[in-house]
Amino acid sequence: MATNTPYDAAIRRYQPLAERPLPDSAELGDALLERYHPDYIPDRFVELTVGPNAGDPCHRQLADVLQSDSRIDEADLAASAEVETDVLVIGGGGAGCSAALEAARAGARVILATKLRLGDSNTVMAEGGIQASVEKDDTPQMHYDDTVKGASGQIDRKLAAQMVMDGPDVIRWLIQQGMQFDLDQYGDLLARRAGGTSAPRVLYFRDYTGLEMMRVLREAVFNSDVEVWDYCPAVELLSDQSGHCAGAVLSSLKDYRYSLIKAKSVIVATGGIGRLHLNGFPTSNHFGAVGDGLVLAYRLGAKLRDLDTFQYHPTGLAYPHHLGGTLITEGVRSAGAYLLNAACERFIDELRPRDHVAAAIIRECAEGRGVDAGHGESGVWLDTPSIELRHPGIIEQRFPKLLHLGTKSGIDPREQPMLIYPTLHYQNGGVVINRQGASTVPGLYCIGEVCGGVHGRNRLMGNSLLEIISFGRRAGTAAAKRVHGVGMRQKKVSLEHLRAFRRELMLAQMPLTQQSPLLFPEYAKFEKDSDYDGLRRNTRVDDDG
Amino acid sequence: MTEDAKKLINLRINGKDICAPEALSVIQALWYAGYPRVKGVGCLQGVCGSCRVFVRRAESSEVSTELGCELLIEEGMDVSFLIYPIPPYQTYRLDEIPNSWEVQAKFHEIFPEAAQCRHCGGCTTTCPKDIDVEKGVELAVKGRFREAGELFVQCVMCNLCQTACPELITPNHVALFSRRVTAYFHTRPSNLINRLEKMRKGELQVVE
Repeated sequence: MATNTPYDAAIRRYQPLAERPLPDSAELGDALLERYHPDYIPDRFVELTVGPNAGDPCHRQLADVLQSDSRIDEADLAASAEVETDVLVIGGGGAGCSAALEAARAGARVILATKLRLGDSNTVMAEGGIQASVEKDDTPQMHYDDTVKGASGQIDRKLAAQMVMDGPDVIRWLIQQGMQFDLDQYGDLLARRAGGTSAPRVLYFRDYTGLEMMRVLREAVFNSDVEVWDYCPAVELLSDQSGHCAGAVLSSLKDYRYSLIKAKSVIVATGGIGRLHLNGFPTSNHFGAVGDGLVLAYRLGAKLRDLDTFQYHPTGLAYPHHLGGTLITEGVRSAGAYLLNAACERFIDELRPRDHVAAAIIRECAEGRGVDAGHGESGVWLDTPSIELRHPGIIEQRFPKLLHLGTKSGIDPREQPMLIYPTLHYQNGGVVINRQGASTVPGLYCIGEVCGGVHGRNRLMGNSLLEIISFGRRAGTAAAKRVHGVGMRQKKVSLEHLRAFRRELMLAQMPLTQQSPLLFPEYAKFEKDSDYDGLRRNTRVDDDG
Repeated sequence: MTEDAKKLINLRINGKDICAPEALSVIQALWYAGYPRVKGVGCLQGVCGSCRVFVRRAESSEVSTELGCELLIEEGMDVSFLIYPIPPYQTYRLDEIPNSWEVQAKFHEIFPEAAQCRHCGGCTTTCPKDIDVEKGVELAVKGRFREAGELFVQCVMCNLCQTACPELITPNHVALFSRRVTAYFHTRPSNLINRLEKMRKGELQVVE
């Protein structure tokens, strides 16, 4: 392992400069990804042995969770309350809220269940913005072409095409919910560029786009007919005789009980897996992002895709330690901020797609040109003073969250660069869906980060806020419509699908010691919290006392 | 630097004496010391408003409110988590306000208590984002919704201001109402409207 320059020595060497040229030497092409991007580390991947994706490559840590036993069995449900609804939405981020709002608007009875509070999600943390082609020199076709190009192949073209065509109407819908955007002096939407885009297309509200979106959608849901069940993580989906999705089992963190929700359609909008800390990376993700939805859908038989590809956002904070992994928006680079190694040299075009930029940062640190952040961590400089020198006042005006982060870090980003390192940001793959967000299991819709196909192997900045609203609205409407088709037949719901899944696990000689969904990252010690003993009647932990 | 990193800090969190290395946040210190913590943890980046804590620092009798994910531990600190959020108790729908002339009257129907502000400053003191909360309420009461909303750009809806108000005003929801009506009635970007028109006429298609 190469030795990087200690933080104090490196910061003394730094001088603010408005312009720095990019050296010609910087590029390595595809070899850069293959050598340094964490997706290309071969022994991190295994073949899945059970379930609909048996034989497909999957990240080892994710495979462990997918091929685990359930947290519950039929006996746990014996005395559980049963509730009926038309549409059950699992997940309270931007995707879940927009789906719930549209399903309720279409006349369905809707329950929205969320693991923590409504709005606890990655949406609230999104900073950079949302893509929609509204500028006169831009078109949906260009948006589509950029999305396909950035995806490094393997994209579901139909989904991407529909999403970019939805873009402008998604913005109108958000404004109608009461969301603000940054506007120019004439009231037009301001747009900024993103890595890998051919036109300015990212619409934004400061560097608080997700916060603004989430607080508005949360308020809209609270003021609608949607019934919100907070602190109620789903631990299993329910199936009917035909194997269709027929509801879910929720576990209440408030009264420590299970409830059965029978629903005619279920929409899973649980987000991604950042808090699994794949490959030991820090993450920009919300505390609850541990892949619950993938597990639930997989056990019920939903097909997944691209489980070996994840996005590492180039600019996660690397110093100070207590804020490690915190996101700094790509908007800062699109405003012109450089990335500099310890020698204060640029080493990549900062607006290349995220996978390339992340790999280049990892390379600089691996080869000893990075800055040592202590605690075994390293990073490179995000040269924020350079944009302040070129556009005085821009940081305060456009990036208040960055300024606040600086205050919390004891660093003024207008005068001093921030130390950054790639942070695990996004699950590129996920549940296979169609244009309405329907999975391969009838009755089960999946939307947002839990899905795959929309972004291929690399997502562009601003395309995920677009995705959650575009597919959220469509799935909400489709799920509400399906209610009528299902009709009034009384269906028997059960955990029958678990029996088959357990049999498969045993035949494959998988250990049945691990249970999932995890619900929380291991370091929160949820499994050891005696408060929740009531939810653990069935837990087979090794008794060490 | 590595020498400093080993320095240990003693503090009390939720009544438990904890010893943890400096450079940890309150939540990280709690986990480090082996205590489970699930409720009151959220984004861990200071934007979700979940991890609200009361803090009393050593040698001080003053109690302040902060976010536990952003708060660095200090020697002798005493910290308590505030767990459950309070859902808003007023109900309104933007599409029930017929037009922008009616917003002010509607506001006072929805938030009748807002005009009762005693100017005690409790809401402003309690805000972990240093927003001039009281001023925002005052502006909204006068119908100056755009200005009121602009004060709340950084609001994470942690509800602390609501907890602090003796008149049961919900200042963060007052502010969010102000922000929402501003967008709903006044955001009409011509570049967006042009694009929507072109798409309506089928002039823009995507070839896969």
